Amino acid sequence: MVHALKEIRRALIPGGLLIDLRPVASHWPVEVMAGAETFAAGQVQDLPAQIADDAASEAALAQAESAGWFIRESAGAFDLAYYWDTPDEMKTYVDEDWRDYIGLPDDVLAQARRMMAAHGAAARARVRLRMFVSRWRRGT
Amino acid sequence: MQRDPEGIETAYLHEFGALAGARVLEIGCGAGRLTWRYAAAARRVTGIEPDIERVRLASRECPAGLRPIVTFALARSEALPFPRGTFDRAIFAWSL
Repeated sequence: MVHALKEIRRALIPGGLLIDLRPVASHWPVEVMAGAETFAAGQVQDLPAQIADDAASEAALAQAESAGWFIRESAGAFDLAYYWDTPDEMKTYVDEDWRDYIGLPDDVLAQARRMMAAHGAAARARVRLRMFVSRWRRGT
Repeated sequence: MQRDPEGIETAYLHEFGALAGARVLEIGCGAGRLTWRYAAAARRVTGIEPDIERVRLASRECPAGLRPIVTFALARSEALPFPRGTFDRAIFAWSL
C-alpha cells in the first residue's frame, strides 16, 4: 500500500488530490424496510480480514503523511445502503461477495426472514455499510 | 440487489473530489461500477484494475456517452504506467 501511495503521488500533478473511499468494519446494521418503517434485525459480524485491512490502510496513509507525500485535508463518514428483495438474496450476496470481510449470523438472518414474512412481499432487506472518505493533497 | 439508490456515495465523491473538469485516475476500478456514476463530470477518466476479466467487462459495458472520456487499463497501483503529473485526481475506491 505504501508503494502504491508513492506511485500515486508521482502520477499526480503538484497540488493534486487523492480521494480514499472505502467501507470500514463497524458491525453494519441489518434491517428490514416495510413501507416507511424500518425494523432492526441485528448486525453483521466483522471478520478479521476486514479489521486488518482497515488497520493496514490507516497505517499506510499515516506513513505517507509523515513522509510528506500527502497532506490530509478533510475526512468524513456516511452510510451506504444495499437492498435485497429477499433474505436469501442477501445471504447469497454476503456469502459470495463479502465472505472474507463480514459474516451474516444465523440468528440475524432468521430474524430478517421473520420480519420480512410478517410484512409481505413489499418488504426489503437492507445492510448499511459504514463508509469512510478522506481527501489528501499531494505534498511538494 | 440495489446498491446506494440514494446516490450518497457519488455525492460524497463529488464533494470530496471536486471532480468537475479533472483528469481522474481511478485505482481498482473493477468493472466500472463507480466509474459510471461520476465520469460524466470529469475531463478524462482512466480506470486501472489488476484483473483482466474486469478490465474487459468494464471496457465492454462502458456507456456510449462516456467512451470519449473513459479508458480502462490493466495495471497495478504499485507500478503505474503513466508519466509524472498525468492526473489531477486519484481515487482509491474500495481498494486501499
